[in-house]
Formats: sequence, C-alpha cells, structure tokens
Amino acid sequence: MGNDHRRPLQREGVLFFGDVIAGLSHELSNVFNIINEIAGLQQDIVGGAQPESAGVANRLTELAGRIKAQVERGETFNQFLHSLAHSVDDANIAFDLGDTLELAGSLAARPARLARVELVVHRPESPVTLVGDPFALLLTIFGSIEVVLDAADSERRVEVNAAPHGDWARLFITSADPLPPGVVDEVAALEIGRLSWGAAHTLDPPPPEPPRRIILDVPAVAPALKATADDKGQEDPDGN
Amino acid sequence: MDDLRLLFVDDEKELVSAVVERLELRGIDGVGATSGDEALDHLREGSFDVVVLDVKMPGTGGLEVLRTINRRHPEVKVILMTGHGSAKDSEIGRRLGAVAYLEKPVDLEDLLTTVDQAVNPEGNGPDGQ
Repeated sequence: MGNDHRRPLQREGVLFFGDVIAGLSHELSNVFNIINEIAGLQQDIVGGAQPESAGVANRLTELAGRIKAQVERGETFNQFLHSLAHSVDDANIAFDLGDTLELAGSLAARPARLARVELVVHRPESPVTLVGDPFALLLTIFGSIEVVLDAADSERRVEVNAAPHGDWARLFITSADPLPPGVVDEVAALEIGRLSWGAAHTLDPPPPEPPRRIILDVPAVAPALKATADDKGQEDPDGN
Repeated sequence: MDDLRLLFVDDEKELVSAVVERLELRGIDGVGATSGDEALDHLREGSFDVVVLDVKMPGTGGLEVLRTINRRHPEVKVILMTGHGSAKDSEIGRRLGAVAYLEKPVDLEDLLTTVDQAVNPEGNGPDGQ
C-alpha cells in the first residue's frame, strides 16, 4: 500500500483537531464566564458590607479584581485558540491578512517570550483581502517568524509588517540581528507557502551582506484557485 | 430600571444563578432559565420586558426561542448572546428582530447598558439612541 491515504487522512486530521479545539475553546469560555460572574457577585456583595468590616471587604474586592484580570487574560488566550481552530475550516476562503498576522503573532508570543525577544506584529494600515487557505498561510508566517526569532539575540526585537504590493501582499519579518547563512534553506513552512500559495521568499539585504529580514510575497489569490476561476471564465466568456 | 423584569437564559446553571443574583442586588427583577423550553414556560406564566438569550443551547436553541417569542410575545425585547466569532448567528438573530447582540463573555455593566437602550430606545443611552 502506498501513501495515497495520507493526504485525506491529514486533511481529515486537521479538520478533526479544528473541530475538537473549537468545542473545547467554547467550553473554556463558559468556565471563564462563570468565574468572572462569581467574582463580580463577590464584589457586589462585599460592596454592600458593613463599615466595621471594611478591611476584609476591601481585601475581598481586591482579590475578586485579580481573579477577573486573570479571567480576562485567559479569555484572550482562548480567543486565539478559537481563531486557530477555525483557521482550518475552509481551504478556499476570502480573509483579512491582518487577522492571520495577528493570530501568528499571538501564537509566536510564547516562543518569543521564552527567547526573551520582543516580538512586535503590525497589522497592515488598511485591510488586505486574500483568497486561499488561511491555515497554510498561518503556518508559513508562523514558521518564518520562528526562524527569525531563533536567530535573534536575547533582549532584541523582531518586527512583522505587511502591505499590499500590486496584486500581491508583501510581508517583512525583520530582526535587529543578522540571520545566519542558510537560515531559510530547510524551513518546511516556506515550502508550504510556496506549494499552497505560490508564495516567494527573499532575504534582504542580498548576499554578500548578512540578511536581517525575510521578505515574503503572497499573491492575493492562491494560484490553484485562480486557475480554477480562470477555467470557469473560459467556459463562460461572459463571466456569468 | 427599577420596574424592569428580565429573563436571563443560558444553559450554564452557575452562570444563570450568579447573574440573577447580581441583577437582584441592583434592584432588577431577574429570573433565570437554563434551557429554551424553561424560558418559554416562564414567558407563558408571566410577563417580561427583556429576554437575554444564549444562542447555542442544547435542545431548543436561542434562535428557535426567539422565533417563538416573536409569534407569542412580540412586545418582549430580545438580546442575544453568542460565542466569539459567531457572526452568522448574530446576523440571523438581527433579521429575526433581536434588538441587540452581545459577544460572550458578557460584562454585566455592558449588559445593563444594552438592556437600558433596549427598553428606552428614545432615552439616554450612551449613544443617545
């Protein structure tokens, strides 16, 4: 038996993970919601306490505030989890590059923190709509950020920017430190970007200068989808 | 909002109980329900100004309850609560006549502001609506 079963298995596997994580994220959200309301109720009750117990009341109010702050933090992580889960829903969809960039940055925040590197992700100044597989693009961007993070020295900064570039979007993943030679040669994420999006990457500045950033060019419409649309156009010259 | 009667519907019992108690501490007559069917029972038995309704519940879901409220209790204002990123549900809810849609987790003060705007559309809400 060959490996023909791998592709549907992988696609189904990704959909399974997405589905399960989305469900768990929903349940987590309910838990946060309940903790938040119970802490709020505690604040309300303590707010009506007698003046002679003001010391304890103030302490309980402060603790409830701290619980709520942690709930808010947890809910932020949970929203990233939710967005990640739904990024696999549709491999042919229009979406905003800014959302994917933000999600990639959020997922890379922990590796950045562990590497003691400041990661700053900027959304494009205006929405940039892309059509294709958002999960494949997320992997490509995340992998590119990881490569640059690995090369950055501690206490340094890595920035991610993006802007429209004709019919393409251009992304810059920039390090304050030079990237080592051959840094992108075996990065699977860039290969995923090339295969799924026709994305091209270059290092800047070009040799012999040591590069400091990866430039990633991504077409507004993934080539496979564009070809399908073009075929349909040929079948129907009026484009109806 | 002293005379307000509010029905809060969510399948999470602990959430409903905490919210109802917080409403009562603010002088609002709050009633809780943990299913769509229980909510419809409450609506049959008494009158409410506002129903705050979770969209996704086991059994009779929020949108189905909203349709029934539209038929049987058209005077009641309905505020929907949906999970993060459930834009489709909120759009359907709006079309069905929900006065507002809040994304969970819902802050109680935001909820009360929305309720105030729902029952006093010409009043002094933050947006002057």
